[in-house]
Amino acid sequence: MALTRTAPGRARTARARPPGSGASGWRRRRDAVGLVFALPALVLFAAFAIYPMLRVFQLSLYDYNLTSPPVWVGLDNFRFLFGDERFLASLGASLFYVVVTYGPAVLLALVLALGLNTRMRGSAFVRLLYFAPVATSWVAVSVIWRLVLQPEGLLNQTLNTDIPWLTSSSWAKWAIAIAAIWKEVGFFLIIFLAGLQNIPKDLQEAAALDGAGSLRRLRYVTLPLLKPITVVVLVMAVIRGFQSFSPQVVLTGGSFGTEVINLFVYKTAFASARMGRASAVAVLMFVLLLMVTFVQLRALRKSA
Amino acid sequence: MSAGVVQRPAVSPSPVPSPSRKRRPVGKVVVFVLLLAGGLVFASVFVYAALSAVKPADEILANPMSWLPSQWLWGNFALPFEETPFARYYLNSTVVGVSVTVLNVITCTLAGYGFSKFSFRGRNVLFLVVLATLMVPLEVIYVPLYALVFDLGWVNSFAGLIIPAATSAFGIFLMRQSIEGLPDELLEAARIDGAGELRILWHVVAPMMVSPMAALALFIFMTNWDSHLWPLLVGNDAEHQTLPVGLAAMQANNLGSGGIPMMMAAALLALLPTLLLFLVLQRKFVEGITMTAGIK
Repeated sequence: MALTRTAPGRARTARARPPGSGASGWRRRRDAVGLVFALPALVLFAAFAIYPMLRVFQLSLYDYNLTSPPVWVGLDNFRFLFGDERFLASLGASLFYVVVTYGPAVLLALVLALGLNTRMRGSAFVRLLYFAPVATSWVAVSVIWRLVLQPEGLLNQTLNTDIPWLTSSSWAKWAIAIAAIWKEVGFFLIIFLAGLQNIPKDLQEAAALDGAGSLRRLRYVTLPLLKPITVVVLVMAVIRGFQSFSPQVVLTGGSFGTEVINLFVYKTAFASARMGRASAVAVLMFVLLLMVTFVQLRALRKSA
Repeated sequence: MSAGVVQRPAVSPSPVPSPSRKRRPVGKVVVFVLLLAGGLVFASVFVYAALSAVKPADEILANPMSWLPSQWLWGNFALPFEETPFARYYLNSTVVGVSVTVLNVITCTLAGYGFSKFSFRGRNVLFLVVLATLMVPLEVIYVPLYALVFDLGWVNSFAGLIIPAATSAFGIFLMRQSIEGLPDELLEAARIDGAGELRILWHVVAPMMVSPMAALALFIFMTNWDSHLWPLLVGNDAEHQTLPVGLAAMQANNLGSGGIPMMMAAALLALLPTLLLFLVLQRKFVEGITMTAGIK
C-alpha cells in the first residue's frame, strides 16, 4: 500500500503492461468464488471421506466398542489378526473370489468384445443381453440366483447334475463365483468395447493390406493396443472383488467358506462390536489394494 | 518409403480381404450365432425368474422342470406388497436415490466449475486430494464413518442415508473435465454483460453440460439403487429400509419354497427401474461406465 502511494508512476506503468491486470484485485476476488463453488463438495469430503480415512488408521490401534471411550492397544489388533484363523480364512475366501470370478469374467469379456466389435445388424441386441445384468442390483440378482442354484434349480437341471451348490463347503464358493461372473461380464465388456473403438481403423486396414490375416492382426495389432485398458480393467476387477458383500450375504450368509473379508469386517464391527479390530482389517485391505494397484500400474509402464 | 506407399495399392486389390469390404464370410455368421446363443443363456436367468414368479409354488422346483407355468398367476406380483412392507422399501429407495442423485449433480457441477474455471490458491492440491479419495472405497472407511454418523445421531435416519453420499470424487472429476472444454471467451462475454458467477453457471455453463450431468445422474442413481452395505448400517429400522436391505431381510424370512413366487416377484420389481433406465438411456449408461475406467 505504502509503495503504491509513494511511487504512483511505477504502479501505473506496471498496470499498463499486461492487459486486464488492472483488475487483479477483482480477479483475485473472482477466483475466490471458485473456492466457494467447490466448498460444499470439499466440506462433505472432509467430513465423510478424509476424516474417516485418517480415523481408520487411528482406530486400528485402539479397542473401541462405539459406546465407551477407545482404549489404546498398540499393534495388538494386527497381532491378533495374523494369528486368527477366521481372518486368514476370510482373506483366502476373498482371494479365491477375486481370482475365480474376475479371471474368467475379464477373459470372457475380452473375447465377447472382440466378437461384438462389429456394425453387424443384431449385434446391438446381443450386447444388450450381456449388459442387462450390470444394470441390476446385486441383492435382487442374488435372490434370483439363490433359486437358480437350488438342488432342483435351473443350473442343476440344465447340467443334469445333483450338486448342493449353496450348502457345501466344496461348492458354495464356486456357486457364488458363477453368479458373479454372470453379473460382472457385461461391465468389463462395456469397457473393452470402448477400448476397441479407440483403436484407429486405419491401423487394422494397413495390417490387412500388408497381408496379415485376422488372427495375426489380433495378435500383433489389437491385443497390444488393448494392453493399457486391460491393466485398468484388472485394477478395477481386484478392487471390485475385495468389495464384494451382497452375494455372500444373500446366497450363503457367509457360511461354507464364503465369509469374504468385507463380511468379516462387518461381523467384527457390528456383531462383535470390535470397531478397532475391524479398522485394522480395513487398514490391511487398503494397503493390499494399494499394492495391487501399484504393481499393476508398474507392469503397464514397463510394457508400454 | 514413399515408393512403397505408391506401390502397395497396385499389389493389394487381389486376394487379401479388406476389412472395409461389404462381404459377410461364413466365419462371421458362425461367430455371431455363438455370441447370440451365449447372450440367450445369460438372459435365460431373467426369463427363469420371471416365469417362476407367476408359477404355482409347487411347480417351481419340480423335477423335471417345465419352463412354462400350468397356470399364469399374475397376482403373485401383488404378494410382496401384501405380505411385506415392500411399498415402503420402494419409497425409501426412491427418496434416497433421487436425493443423492440431485445432491451429487449440484455439488459436483459446482465443484467442477470451481476447479476448472477459477485459479484460487491451493486449487491443485485440493483437487489432488479429491482424486486421491477415488482410491479409497467405502469398504475401507465404513467403520469410522459409521462411528461418525452414530455420534451425529444419524443412525436410522434419512440424513445418514443421504448426506454422506451427497458428493463423489468421480462426479467432480467428470464435471471438471467437461466444463474445462468450454471456451473462456463465452464466460468472459457473459461477465462483460454484467452477469454474476452464479448466473453464468446457471444460464451459460449448465445448459451446455446437460449431457455429462445426465451421465453422472444416471451413474449415481444406479449405484445408489444397488447400495446395500451402508443402508444396512444406517437405515435398518422399519421406516428406513431400502430395497436391497428389505429384499435381503425378506429372503431370510422366506426360505421355504412357498415364498419363492413372492421373492422372484419382489426381486424383479426391485431391479425393474434401473433396468428400464438402462434400456432407455443405454448410451449414457455406457458413457458413465467407460468414464470410470478413464476412457474418453
